[in-house]
Amino acid sequence: MVKMNLNYSYRESLGKALVKIGEKKKEVVVVDSDVSKSTYTKYFAEKFPNRFVSVGISEQDLIGFSAGLALGGKIPIAVAFSMFLMRAWEQIRNTIARDKLNVKIIGTHSGLSDFLDGSSHQALEDISLIRILPNFTVVAPSDIVSTEKLVYEMVDHIGPVYMRIGRDNSPKIYDDQEEFKIGKSKTLIEGDDILIISYGPMVEISREVVNLLRKKGFSSSLIDLYSIKPFDEQNVIKLAYKSNLIAIIEEHNVNGGVGDMISSFLSSRLPRKVVKIGIEDSFGTSARNYLELIEFFKLTPKNIEERLKVIYDEL
Amino acid sequence: MGRGHDAQPILNKVPSFVLNPENVYEKIVEKKTLANEFLNDFLKKINNYHGDSSRSVLNILITLYDYWIPKGIGLGISRSIILSKGHASPALYTLLALNKEIDYDELDTFATPNSRLQSHPEGGKIPGILFSTGSLGQGLSIANGIAYAAKLNNENKEIAVILGDGELDEGQIWESISTSYSLKIDNILAIVDRNGFQLSGPTEEIKIKESIKKKFEAFGWYTVEVKNDIKELMIALDLVSEIKGLPRALIVKSG
Repeated sequence: MVKMNLNYSYRESLGKALVKIGEKKKEVVVVDSDVSKSTYTKYFAEKFPNRFVSVGISEQDLIGFSAGLALGGKIPIAVAFSMFLMRAWEQIRNTIARDKLNVKIIGTHSGLSDFLDGSSHQALEDISLIRILPNFTVVAPSDIVSTEKLVYEMVDHIGPVYMRIGRDNSPKIYDDQEEFKIGKSKTLIEGDDILIISYGPMVEISREVVNLLRKKGFSSSLIDLYSIKPFDEQNVIKLAYKSNLIAIIEEHNVNGGVGDMISSFLSSRLPRKVVKIGIEDSFGTSARNYLELIEFFKLTPKNIEERLKVIYDEL
Repeated sequence: MGRGHDAQPILNKVPSFVLNPENVYEKIVEKKTLANEFLNDFLKKINNYHGDSSRSVLNILITLYDYWIPKGIGLGISRSIILSKGHASPALYTLLALNKEIDYDELDTFATPNSRLQSHPEGGKIPGILFSTGSLGQGLSIANGIAYAAKLNNENKEIAVILGDGELDEGQIWESISTSYSLKIDNILAIVDRNGFQLSGPTEEIKIKESIKKKFEAFGWYTVEVKNDIKELMIALDLVSEIKGLPRALIVKSG
């Protein structure tokens, strides 16, 4: 089995960040749909019982209720599994997006991170569904530090924001001092031949891909595109310009994901080959651990490096 | 248990207490006659867009705007109305024109691209419209959130949310009915426009609604059934104003 250090907890980082922002901002109200033990909003509930609301297992109501809190001057943060938030997509569209309400939505257990629960729980479509909504901002932190910082950032931002995080599959990429801004990105590695754009835990896998490619003689750039909407067009175009091949690596269905977003952006600007690497138009499946799924979907650094090398050689 | 089971239906009962010293009732009835004429003229121009739904909600809207809200001001309560069944917008816009919140001529712009008067009212475009509607089943969830925020802010605020009887088919309604009771949101008032029809025909032929009163009561609400009549509505609004600690519902029956 592939070895990767993806053992830090996104949700624990989220839980602690919510407590910190709760101390700082009295308007913050956390809204839950009976998953507070799983999303770690339980920390907030213990600290601020009066500013924590559970509406029960009712995701549509969760979104509507949060919209009402925002209309009443609060800063609601609705936290639930990414997959089941999508059950309220129409509420998100028709109320929060249309009226540009100041609601923060955090989807946990995204991608393949809920490995054991299988296809019903593995959200591989959420980025696609939310990024197409007007007025929405979408962020997807890659590690525990960026998760914490982007929680503060999303609360400071006025308007609807969707944050996508995993469960306990975070790498450790950034130092505690690192800062993250909506609309920006991080260039982790700069090279010349291939540009890799990634987000979430796949950033760590992409770092390994860059290392493997280097051994084969390829020099690559790596962007952590933690802000998906708006995204850092300038940085993408700058690094894409000097690369021959652009690869987007994501833990998401390749249809409608960030790969499609970047392809569509570049198609009218730069004649470059773009490769979308992710889940190929399928659902997830149960597994006993996260990395077993990374192998199953051929998303290991080795799988990706080999695929990119073949494509590069054919250019 | 205090779950509202002892609420007495006042349907078909003779009003038992004096309503108002300043002929408010007579003034509202007079306005209703005018509003009816205006609404019918308006509906003729717009191909009877959700005409039946607009006609059945007119008494409810007038009573809320001209009796419930002003009375709240007297009591120091800030009251707002949400028309969850947003398709009945012709009635709402007619009243806003009568109340001079919008120009009467503006009604002619109804449902044109640049108009503030969208087919389903949109939030922030017209005074008093708190948020955009058009998708059924969502109003009560949002109203709960507004009412709950008011409690957190220690504001004396009440929200009336008007639901269609057909709208009760939506599952989210039952999620939110349960939330109101569970979170003890007693500054909310749900008003069901029980006109007996939904898009394709009589409600009971499409999806059985009865007993709406028993359903609300089973979910813990203090519930009253009234005729779609201004006097009964005024009495019922006074009655439910006295209820503390429970969410309250009026089932307003046409015919």
